[in-house]
Amino acid sequence: MLKKKSTTALAALSMAAVLALTACGSNGNNGNSGASNGGASASPAPTTSTAPTEAPAKDVSLRVFSTFGGTDAAREAFQKLLDDFSAKYPNVKIDNDVMSANDDGFRTKVNSDMNSGNEPDLLFYFVGADAKGFVDAGKVVPLNSLLDEDAEWKNGFIPSALESVKQPDGNIYAAPLTGFYEGLFVNKAIFEKYNLELPTDWDKLTKAVKTLSENKIIPLAAPFDQSHYVIEHSVLAASGSEGQKAGLLNGISPEWELGIGKLKELGDLGAFPKDAATIDLTMAANYYSQGLAAMVLEGSWAIGGMADAVKSTSTVLPFPAIPGGKGTGKDVVGGFGSGFYLSKATYDNADKKDAAVQLLKFLTSKDAIKAVATANGGTPAADVQIDGLPQVALDGFKMVADSTSVNSPIDSYLSPETFTTIRQNIQGVVKGEKTAKQALEAAEKIEKANKQ
Amino acid sequence: MKGDKKYIVAFLAPALLLISTFVYYPFLKSLYLSFYRTSGFFDKKFVGLDNYKRMFTDDLLGAATLHTLEIMLYTIVFQVGIALVLAVMVDNISKGKQFFRTVFFFPIVISGAAISLLFVLIYNYQFGMLNNAIAGLGLEKVLWLSETGSLKAVAVPTVWHYVGFYFILFLTAMSKIPADFYEAAKLEGISGIKKTTMLTIPLILSDIKVVLILAITGTLKVFDFVWILSRGQNGTEVLGTYMYKKALVDQNFGYGSTIAIYIVVFGLILSIITNRLLKREEITY
Repeated sequence: MLKKKSTTALAALSMAAVLALTACGSNGNNGNSGASNGGASASPAPTTSTAPTEAPAKDVSLRVFSTFGGTDAAREAFQKLLDDFSAKYPNVKIDNDVMSANDDGFRTKVNSDMNSGNEPDLLFYFVGADAKGFVDAGKVVPLNSLLDEDAEWKNGFIPSALESVKQPDGNIYAAPLTGFYEGLFVNKAIFEKYNLELPTDWDKLTKAVKTLSENKIIPLAAPFDQSHYVIEHSVLAASGSEGQKAGLLNGISPEWELGIGKLKELGDLGAFPKDAATIDLTMAANYYSQGLAAMVLEGSWAIGGMADAVKSTSTVLPFPAIPGGKGTGKDVVGGFGSGFYLSKATYDNADKKDAAVQLLKFLTSKDAIKAVATANGGTPAADVQIDGLPQVALDGFKMVADSTSVNSPIDSYLSPETFTTIRQNIQGVVKGEKTAKQALEAAEKIEKANKQ
Repeated sequence: MKGDKKYIVAFLAPALLLISTFVYYPFLKSLYLSFYRTSGFFDKKFVGLDNYKRMFTDDLLGAATLHTLEIMLYTIVFQVGIALVLAVMVDNISKGKQFFRTVFFFPIVISGAAISLLFVLIYNYQFGMLNNAIAGLGLEKVLWLSETGSLKAVAVPTVWHYVGFYFILFLTAMSKIPADFYEAAKLEGISGIKKTTMLTIPLILSDIKVVLILAITGTLKVFDFVWILSRGQNGTEVLGTYMYKKALVDQNFGYGSTIAIYIVVFGLILSIITNRLLKREEITY
């Protein structure tokens, strides 16, 4: 009898061990020493005017995975939307599964979830190359017919936003929420202090870098390892909108080489922080947001995290065109790069389908888009007026409106390993240990091996 | 005997199940994947030994191996060394044993990621604790995570984090030494350092061996400190971070798995060597 008891105890113990191990797998990285979260609280309650349709009576629980967590500016606004939905439909239990987008960890999580039959019911994720795997594998449903059936929902979106979330097969799988742009955020107060002109062309940029570095201000807060934005913008500024789409399969374009090579010129002038090799993007953004750095290459989402004093004196400009290249100086990285996906498994599950579709429509309604755009400063995917935005956000919208082209970041044209190879070599290029050509050749080799 | 069989099975099955699920299955899957070129989670193509060929010509993997060996050296000398010194000292005091045991063991309880974030704030060049103190004294700030010093800087929290674990193992081993050995030594007039080197350490040699093997194989798993403190830059890439980058950041599971196999083989060779070097007869009291 006693022996039997201990077998049960052992079984229980092993169950506990399994649970503990499973728990290890889903740890988010919310602990990043992130920037303080300023603008998140000011989201107005979305006023839902549509009368509640007959709610499905069964109790349903839905898992919504998104990056509206951690230090994300729209975290509270998003939670509120979910709370509002739960209040309206008490039978729907929502599991708000979030991970910070500060690191690449959430990509791993999404990919492994999608690949292992553990799809969230609604997934907020990138479109394009990032989504290609699970879209082609049929893990999510096309939203085309759902959109066509519900004119009110469909007409809520700006047509160009719906256009830009189309996958290469012409279907829409993701319902867009807010768009983004990336640019050179400039702290005007620091520029005024040192009598510098805003970096609207390459000469002004190099002059500013030189002066600032002599005065012990970090000119451009950028990390070498997570040099995503630096690479995107230098290549775009050198090769222009068409040239940056070239990729690396047909040889190395001289403009790409020019763009990457110019990073050495900036590095020699002292553009990057002394600890650029070991900091991450969060820390780089932190240097700017605390007023220690005069410029940073970031996305529109960074505005929410800036300290108020810095936010009020910031503006955003396109990265200046590199002399000798094909950029116009008004090429911008941006678009509607993400949206809500509806999983196929959920859609086929009669119990969940209606509630999930309802939640999807609710989260991408005009009011919801407005609430999230107000919080994170992104470009709304619906035709709504956002009030109370800081000047820098308005400057950002103007930058996009005045641009000659709005481009997807170059990593959407390269395989992840290729892009990492370029990133890994940035430090060598800046320090002069490698030429831009060598860096790109290393990447080219990987790209070709990947596409075999 | 016959009747025991079902109990043997009942007791071994859960452990076997767990170890198969979490150790053998992933290992075999890695072996399988190491023959494929993968892109993302959904595409893969058989490439034979290409990944292994790449492995032998990969400079970054070579560098990562050397960095891992360097951390291993620090671990053996400082982690095990400090743990041994602390254990000898605590073993010799009569009051407050419990207190010191708790204090020295405590860092183990904190997660590696939390300690790493703590050290990010200590080492940071702009507003880190060390540089604030230095600037307060009117001296020039130091780049702690520099191109030459990063690996040593990363090794500090790595060593510190696990000292307490080996300390406890040593202390437990020492408490098992029968008191009459010491009484005899006392009668012979042996005390102090001589007692430690001639009596205590030889008697716990088998435990030291275990600790050394744990320390050596443990170093192969170093990941969080490097990842958070320096992201593998400035000559700090170790095997763990390199494998993670290849498999999960680059989504090249094929090559990542090949590195995983390499780590396993490397670890096995290292533990066999250690075992050979420390071969000695077991001591029984």
